[in-house]
Parts: sequence; C-alpha cells; structure tokens
Amino acid sequence: MSAAPILEALGLSKRFKDTLAVTDVSLTLPAGESLALIGPNGAGKSTTLAMLTTAQHPDSGTARVDGHDVVHAARAARGVLGVLFQDPALDASMTARETLALHAALHGIPRRKTPQHVAQALREAGLGDAADRSIHGFSGGMKRRLELARALMHGPRLLVLDEPTLGLDPQGRLDLWARINALRTGGMSVLMTTHVLDEADSFDRVGIMEGGRLVALDTPGALKSRFAGSVDATLEDVFFHLTGRALRDAGQPMRPTLIRRLA
Amino acid sequence: MTAHALQNPVQWVDLRVVGAIWQREVKSYLRDRSQIFGGVSRTVLWLVILGFGLGATLREIEGYTYTQYILPGVMVLNVLFAAMQSAFALVYDRRHGLLRQILVSPAPLFSVTLGKLMGGASAAVIQGSIPLLFAPLIGVHLTVMGVLTAWAVMFAMGFALTGLGVVVATRIKGLRGFGSISNGVIQPLYFLSGSIFPLKGIVGGVGFLDIPQSLRDQLRDHGIYAIGGGWVVELPVWLETIVRLNPISYQIDLMRHAMLGFHQLPLGLGVLVTIACPAIALIAAAICLQRPGDR
Repeated sequence: MSAAPILEALGLSKRFKDTLAVTDVSLTLPAGESLALIGPNGAGKSTTLAMLTTAQHPDSGTARVDGHDVVHAARAARGVLGVLFQDPALDASMTARETLALHAALHGIPRRKTPQHVAQALREAGLGDAADRSIHGFSGGMKRRLELARALMHGPRLLVLDEPTLGLDPQGRLDLWARINALRTGGMSVLMTTHVLDEADSFDRVGIMEGGRLVALDTPGALKSRFAGSVDATLEDVFFHLTGRALRDAGQPMRPTLIRRLA
Repeated sequence: MTAHALQNPVQWVDLRVVGAIWQREVKSYLRDRSQIFGGVSRTVLWLVILGFGLGATLREIEGYTYTQYILPGVMVLNVLFAAMQSAFALVYDRRHGLLRQILVSPAPLFSVTLGKLMGGASAAVIQGSIPLLFAPLIGVHLTVMGVLTAWAVMFAMGFALTGLGVVVATRIKGLRGFGSISNGVIQPLYFLSGSIFPLKGIVGGVGFLDIPQSLRDQLRDHGIYAIGGGWVVELPVWLETIVRLNPISYQIDLMRHAMLGFHQLPLGLGVLVTIACPAIALIAAAICLQRPGDR
C-alpha cells in the first residue's frame, strides 16, 4: 500500500441534465494493485470510468492517472491508460493486424517498430494464425483477446476493464480471466467494473457504488467482515446489504449476468 | 512507445495519425463493394438512361449533348454519396467502437479529423471517377489536364462534404436519422447546382423549328426566347439565386469547364469556393469531434 498511486480521484461528480450520475467519488489505487468497482445498473460505474479515462469531464472534483490530471493533462493521461470497453470496440471490416497497426499509430509507436510490436501482440493473444483475417469472422473470445492485446500494446501503466467478460462463453471467460490474472501477477495496475462478483472477489480491493456514490471501498475480506458480519460471507451478501434487492432500471432489459445473480 | 506521442502535447497535426486514419477509410471504402456497385448503377441510371432518355428530346445545351452536359453532374452525385457514406461510417464507429478507442488514445483529434476527411475525399474521387470511364462513349474527349482538374475539384468537394457529414453525424444519435438527413442534404445540393439544367443558355429541342409563330409568342411571354435552332432558357430569379448560393454549383462549373470547356459562373469564384469550403469544413468537423479533454 506504500506504492505511489497510479490513480487518484477526489470528489468526482457528474450530472447529465436532471440526473446526478456520480456524486463526490474519491478513490486511490496504488501502483501494482487492482480495484474492482461493482454496483447495480445506473449506479455510476460507467460514468466514473468515463471520467477516469478522460472521455468525460467531471463537473467537479479532480482525478490524476500516473500523476497526469485527466482534464488539464488529458493527452498524457491517455498515454498511460489501456482500456478494454464493455462492448467490442472493433471495426469488423479490418484484420487483426490492421487493427493493431492503427492502434500503434494512434499511440505514437514508431513506424519502424510497429511490425515488431504488432507481431508480438498477436502472438501473445494467440492470434498469429488469424492475423490477416477479417475480424468479422472472429469469435467473441478472439475479439476480446485482440482488444486486450490492443489495450496493452502501447505499454500502459493502468489497465481499465469495463465488464471484460460480458458476453463470453465459459471457455472464453476462463481464458481472458487467466490473462488478466497473469497481468496482475506481473504487477499491472488494474481498474475494473463488473457484475460478476466472483471476479471482483479476487481483486485487491473492491468499491461498491450505489446511486452515484461510492458507498464502500476496501479489501473483499474487510467488506465481508464489516457489512456481512463474517469473512466467510460472500461478496454477494455485501452487495445486497449495501444496494438492496430491488430491481433497477425499470423498463430496461437487465444484463444477463445480473439477472442470474438476482435469480 | 507512448513517450513519442507525449513529446509534443500541443501538436495538432500528427502525419502518422492522419495517414493511418486515411488508410483505414480508403480500405473500408474499397472493401465495401456495395458502394462501388452504387457508383456504377447511379452512373448508368443518370448518364445512360436519363442522359439518353431526356437527350432524345432535349438534344443539346449550348452545343453539347444532354449526356455530355450532365457528365460533371453525375460525377458530383457520386462524390456526394461517397462523402456522405464516409461520414455515415462515423455514426457506426461511434456506436460500435472505433471512435471510443480513438477518444481514449493520445492522438490529436484534429489529425484524426484530417485523416477522416482525406479518406472521405479519396473515396469520393474514386467514386466520382466512375462516370469518367463512360466519357469516351458519350463523345467527351478527356485531356490529362481536364482529368487532373476534375480530380482536384472532386477531392476538395469530397473533403468539404465529408466534413459537412461529420458535423451532421456528430449531431445524430441513431443510424436511421443520418440516412434521412443525408438525403435531405444530398438532393438539394445536387438539384440546385446546375447539374442537370443550365442557369441560362441556348437549349435545342426536337421539332423546335416546327413550332408555329403563335406558340413562339406565347413562349416569349414566359421568358423563353426562340433563337435559331433552339431557345434561350433563363431560370426564375429565386431559383438562380439559390443555385448561385450553392457552393456545389461553382465546383460543377469548374469541372464542366475542365472537361467540356464550358462554364457559366465566374471561374475565379469557383476556385475560391473550392479552396475555402474544405478549410471551413475541416474546422467545423474538428470542433464537432472534440473530446471533453481537448476543450
């Protein structure tokens, strides 16, 4: 916990018209640690992530990624971020190699080093044989592996994962999770949102969001002791204790993972 | 690695980014066979069917066959569609991911915009060149200078129109809305540009010489003057005003001058419009594409 923070947020708030999406969120992530943000739909996780990845400006509060202010030094902050979005963010008409080469250009990887970086990323993602195939024919797992390879290709210091295993089959989820764990073991700082509480349970710390606020932030064990009365309780017990059991987002389809959890 | 991108944080034009985005746009266009098919079918529909169909009645305009007269217009129609399609891809990118990936990269969005507009312009030149292949068949003798000028004008026009499309695309939430709006942009720009009718000029029709004097007098009352083998057409003032306000009119006029040696609007103004529109469109598109952190 003594490591310098890779991520610091202080009093982040964001309003969309009449809706206060995020209110006074403060958190710190020491370098080399992992933090999972969980919460019901509409709790403010995605908006928080959008502010921390410079895609949205906070109305108030500040955040720094590796010391770079996400508002005033946004470009520098983007350079140290690797982001894996919830939905596949790929152009299906491109090949895997072209996708990575475009990413290299966007992140300023020198032209002469790009083929080497691309080849290495493809190899690590297990996509060497599919490098020149159109992404259109990729499975969900292959797309996710390609996106993870892209997110890591420029050597980020903080990996941001927005529901990374959403929509993957069990094999795909297992494979991706093994890759994420390997990165964490290797010292990569990871910030993740998820509805799969088992995934969050394996992280160093877990933040629980409800109604736009970060209502709890601690290690999984400490959260279980504090809110469920025992370290043997599950993170699900803590989640329901803090967020209730009522369905959210009335009138909107719920994500299958959350439906399974609530069933 | 990223340090390279961070060396000059205020850098606006990163040629590597411009080239990468341009390459992606051109590859996407070339892989989309439906666009090529659309360019060919539009050419056949307008140049061959409409050109020869209407040309059978409207035999010539200022000494050119109707098909020859509308050739630059058909090229521009293809440019309009290609540019709007390129801009439409932005709505798709925003919805399906690539734009999000760009937003969280350190790439300057001005460079991304420049690459996007250059890509749209390149696709527009390819698409606009399809009718050129029909030129020998309709008796238009192409010169190297004429083709180069046409390409330059089409590139500038495609650049500006892709920019206009980007402005529209950033204001549209759904995929459906863009189609309706782009049609609402393409059609007025095309029909009000002198693409298929002249601002004024001698137009020859079949059987014109057989028109009795009484009918000639009636035509004159409506502003149509019978002269020699044709009649002089002059657009109503309101319509001519709109055509003169439409920047596409000047670009079509330049192309018509380059390919047929005939023009109706001041060439200097045409050159000015052709240079100014892309610059304005680039600034407008770049402003619309800004991310919060760039403001």
